[in-house]
Amino acid sequence: MSERSRGSIWFERLAAGGTRVAGLPPSVQVADGALEGVPVRWIAVVPDPNGRFERARNGEMGIDEGFGVAQAVAGTPRDRAVVAIVDVPGQAFGIREEAIGLQRALAAPTYAYARVRRDGAPVAALVVGKAISGAFLAHGLQAGWIGALNDGGIEVHVMSEPAVARVTRMDRGDLARVALEVPATARDIATFSTFGAIDRLFDVVDPCDPTESEFARVSEALAAALRDPRLARRNPRDRLDTPAAVRTRALSRRVREALEAQWDD
Amino acid sequence: MIETLTYRYDANAPVARRAHVGVVASGNCEILLEPAGDSQASVVVRTSVTGYADTWKAVLARFFERNPIAANVEINDFGATPAVVALRLEQALETAQ
Amino acid sequence: MNVLLADSFAERGARERAQGLLDPQTYRELLGPFERVSSPYLAAQSVVPQSDDGVVVARGTLGGVRACVIATDGRFLGGSIGEIGGAKIAGALELSRRDAERGAPTRTVLALDTGGIRLQEANLGILAVSEISDAIVALRELVPVVALIAGRVGVYGGLSLSTALCSQIIVSEGARIGLNGPDVVETESGIEELDSSDRPLIWRVMGGRRRYDQGFATDFVDDDVGAIREAVLHAFERPRELGPLVAPPFPNPRLERNEFLRAMGIEP
Repeated sequence: MSERSRGSIWFERLAAGGTRVAGLPPSVQVADGALEGVPVRWIAVVPDPNGRFERARNGEMGIDEGFGVAQAVAGTPRDRAVVAIVDVPGQAFGIREEAIGLQRALAAPTYAYARVRRDGAPVAALVVGKAISGAFLAHGLQAGWIGALNDGGIEVHVMSEPAVARVTRMDRGDLARVALEVPATARDIATFSTFGAIDRLFDVVDPCDPTESEFARVSEALAAALRDPRLARRNPRDRLDTPAAVRTRALSRRVREALEAQWDD
Repeated sequence: MIETLTYRYDANAPVARRAHVGVVASGNCEILLEPAGDSQASVVVRTSVTGYADTWKAVLARFFERNPIAANVEINDFGATPAVVALRLEQALETAQ
Repeated sequence: MNVLLADSFAERGARERAQGLLDPQTYRELLGPFERVSSPYLAAQSVVPQSDDGVVVARGTLGGVRACVIATDGRFLGGSIGEIGGAKIAGALELSRRDAERGAPTRTVLALDTGGIRLQEANLGILAVSEISDAIVALRELVPVVALIAGRVGVYGGLSLSTALCSQIIVSEGARIGLNGPDVVETESGIEELDSSDRPLIWRVMGGRRRYDQGFATDFVDDDVGAIREAVLHAFERPRELGPLVAPPFPNPRLERNEFLRAMGIEP
């Protein structure tokens, strides 16, 4: 990959002036910096064409990325916020990874993010590129606040589009028609944000080259979110109480209410 | 495409309780059977395999002729053969009695 | 074990599995099939929904202690997790956490048999799994969370991450644990990476025995309801925590595929 990835571009901008954290694989970029006075540990997964796992060279979450991100998150100094910069096209699809135990490699950052959040650190995520499946679950979705660029290049799904097409034997047109009827199958960030998990969308003309004012808007909103004392107590389940989720995830709420009503004899 | 088929039969035998059998898996079906208030059996079939209305009619007619139970029956089908459907109906009846 | 006399756990449906785990006559299902809370998203995609959405939540007792068994049915759409099934799992875990906070713990068992997030409800499934994972982390702060992987599918996809977050994992020989199912690996990376029809190889790579030998499961059980129930009881009475989620030792990944697998102790 000759072009720099979106994750790498936004990491460089946000973490500019920060101190690089060493001891991690090149595909896991980590720096301690500050955002408008808020101490932040920035974490991004980026492509590494020379990575030792051939199935994880394009920014996928693999063994090194999973355990690397986990190590970076768990090692965050106290009183420092954690921000995941999300541009992950998926998990690594390799036999080496499965043999080693990829489920544990991706459970590790899932646990680390949830753990530091539950221990009181502000944890946020900024989706700047793809956010696919296990990779997004492991790097982004455990954040208490999630912002995203409002851009056509963002993709949120459980599988890459070509793979979905192969599995369902539907072409792009069919998939687009299904997505209109069942928004959960859509890939675009605007539709995903209707489920209440995206706290803020940012308009940018060129997501690979944000203008000063575009960048400033993202920074300000992110800093405000990290300063908000409520963030440290916000868990994934709380997304169900957003106005958007009240509308679009009514079933998720109804199921919980019914279980609660029936829980004790 | 999903096809929804509905059938009604005269009934005179009550069932004691509701029954749930089967699973919506390839070649199988799920049946929910509940006692009905009136002397009728009503059946709703939802199936992903379309174009077999005649077969369903025959299988169900045979069952409800022999077992005129007053019940509401819901069948969620994923291509079960007539033999599997008949077996599931018998299992549901056995549980309900 | 006499295979002929075994009461196979894997051959049971989710409901019968939960019944087999809980103390006799204590089974009580929540949001059962007659409440008909089923997926509204499937019909538009030509799939007939199942009345319980493929997930059973049952209360009862385990060894005389209040319990909750959450069981997914691998036969319905591969045990895939959609909005309703996902909310059932997350909701039950959240209520178990509430019980533990109140000092009246519920023994919680996740009897999973799932291929992962349901493609037909993609992003609602992802969100549900993120909530399930967090709920497991929250619950195991207070009490053990036991995963039981002993079905025909095993556990793949998003819930394989959630499973790895549990404090204990019980596996059977027939079960498999992996992030990507063999067919997904083959589809994405080619048959030379993994031939999804090579079942012996798949079990050597991700089968229950293998995962147990790697230390990724706390107990290895025969496919027998009685034996599995014993193992589950044992897990609560004498908890054994899984090792921390750190990178295990592994050979140089630049090794050629077969060399790498042999170095892992797997005959390619």
